[in-house]
Amino acid sequence: MTPGSLARLAALSLKRDRRGAAFSAFGVGIGVGALVFFVALGAGVGRVVRDKVFPSDASLIDVVPPTLSLGSILGGGKLDQSTVDRLSGLPEVAAVYRRMQVRVPAVSHYEGDFFGSHLRMGVEVLAVGVDPGLVQGDVQLGDFTDPGPGKPVPAVMASRLLEIYNKSFAPARRLPQLSRSMLVGFVFPVDFNRSYVAQAAPGPSTSTQAQVVGVSDRGLLAGLTIPLETARRINRTSGADAETYTGVTLQAKDPSQVPGLIDTVKQMGLQIDDQERRLSESTGAAVAVTTSALALLSILICALAAVNIAHALFASVRARSREIGIMRAVGASRADVQRLVLAEAAAVGALGGLAGTLGAFGLAAAVDALAVAYLPPFPFKPDTFFHFSPALLAGGVLLGLLAALAGAFLPSRHAAGMDPARALAG
Amino acid sequence: MIEAKAIVKSYRDGDAEVRVLDGLDLQVAEKELVAVVGPSGSGKSTLLHLLGGLDVHYRGEISVNGSRLTGLSDRALAGLRGAHLGFVFQSFHLVPALSALENVLLPSFFAPRPLAPAEARKRAEEVLARVGLESKRERAPAQLSGGERQRVAIARALFGRPRVLLCDEPTGNLDARTGGEIIQLFQALNRDGLTVLVVTHEDRMSSAATRVLRLREGKLFPEGPPP
Repeated sequence: MTPGSLARLAALSLKRDRRGAAFSAFGVGIGVGALVFFVALGAGVGRVVRDKVFPSDASLIDVVPPTLSLGSILGGGKLDQSTVDRLSGLPEVAAVYRRMQVRVPAVSHYEGDFFGSHLRMGVEVLAVGVDPGLVQGDVQLGDFTDPGPGKPVPAVMASRLLEIYNKSFAPARRLPQLSRSMLVGFVFPVDFNRSYVAQAAPGPSTSTQAQVVGVSDRGLLAGLTIPLETARRINRTSGADAETYTGVTLQAKDPSQVPGLIDTVKQMGLQIDDQERRLSESTGAAVAVTTSALALLSILICALAAVNIAHALFASVRARSREIGIMRAVGASRADVQRLVLAEAAAVGALGGLAGTLGAFGLAAAVDALAVAYLPPFPFKPDTFFHFSPALLAGGVLLGLLAALAGAFLPSRHAAGMDPARALAG
Repeated sequence: MIEAKAIVKSYRDGDAEVRVLDGLDLQVAEKELVAVVGPSGSGKSTLLHLLGGLDVHYRGEISVNGSRLTGLSDRALAGLRGAHLGFVFQSFHLVPALSALENVLLPSFFAPRPLAPAEARKRAEEVLARVGLESKRERAPAQLSGGERQRVAIARALFGRPRVLLCDEPTGNLDARTGGEIIQLFQALNRDGLTVLVVTHEDRMSSAATRVLRLREGKLFPEGPPP
């Protein structure tokens, strides 16, 4: 029996019991649809957590000086230039980006036009200086270097801060929604070594302006990311420490080298600031566990569908025993009969899998549409809560096929083992 | 064409062994129309199933068209049935959900080297025309009379251009006139060169045969020439 003949005969067989085939396919479709829906939801939410809430580059490590260590007593554990040079010399390190916090308080008092709205605001400002290479890819205006005294300080905003502003801060205060490109070029005043809530450092205060030159995932979440040399200059002017760094970001040559690099750094008496990474991982793990539980439930539905198919096929094979006898009489072998039953089940399973996958796709689109229409905006609210990869779509159809074939295995063996003489004798 | 030697076939009935065929010998030459007669339960259908390779649990040797059936694999037996044998049954054994044409096409699906669908359909239409049913090819079996159903079954048996037709009480469910037409059809097919072996308990069928054998106590005995 050739594959073409098998396909035609299976189609002929299914055509006459459309209702039974549709019922079996429905069972498979429900299981596959639920699985595809939940896995796509887990993948979509995971992607939002990974890419938007806790964006992190797998090859980057944030190194900070230890809060208390024997290393510092023995002369290690301090993030000065010599430590940075030692870190640069590690064979796994591709690049080193230094970070120095502006160690004096700062405020911004703004009153005036803010993209068409009137804004009056006074806020405490945190600022950190970084090596330009860390954010250079996101800088859209000018150079990210220290402009010198009296000129606007180039500042990079955190993309997450923009998201929180747009989804939480702005709607509550009827302020305009801002895009990245709108924000670039915006200039606002900043006074260094001045505070509304704390005492300033003994040195002089500096009034200047900051200009947004870009928006970056690598920007400081609640503050300004400015050139390292600017931070150094402000600290020096204010009499604060302008030599040691508050942190260093290491870029590994390969993400697979990160664990080894972390060990080496720890042996140097330094600490790893992996709070965000761990938060991302634990959130991702929670999403994965929930998704796995729901996927397991869906697989259970598929298993029940397979049992249903087995039950239906056993009944069908019994009802068609004479027909199977006729097939044997006109030239069908046992293997042909088995293949026919399996092919019928495979068609039902594949159709059920396809219908379930398309159903999951449709349901996801409906959920997204409802979320757009009825869910209020919130930070990191995604355009879609789902991620359908081609592998997931193919896997859905394949799962339907496998569930149906598993269910059909025993009935097909039973059909193949029938005694044709007895079947024909009735 | 058909040769069976020392065939023994038995069934178990509880602890007892019932021998249905007991050292049966049979030889059917090419282009013969042989009738095997005997009462119900004498083993006629069993003999037919053995000769067609549908039942392989027996002792002895069977050859059809030069091929020894004994010991052949299931696939080889299926191939032999598809290529050389045609079956006609008393209760027609048509698939109710298929049209007459689809029933006739059924053997085409199992051929190792199948005809192209259009060619298979053409051949099915030809054999339906041969049995006089070309105009009813799209009808379901339920829409056909008993005689027409048996003609569809004969057309299905002829689809693979077999050398031998094995018929199990082919007129048993038909009235006298329709049964007579079917017998005439078998005679015509036999005249065209087909070897026909019919098991029957009807005189009108056996009287149409070129040779009649009686199955008694598990063996075949020749009967005298029909009057």
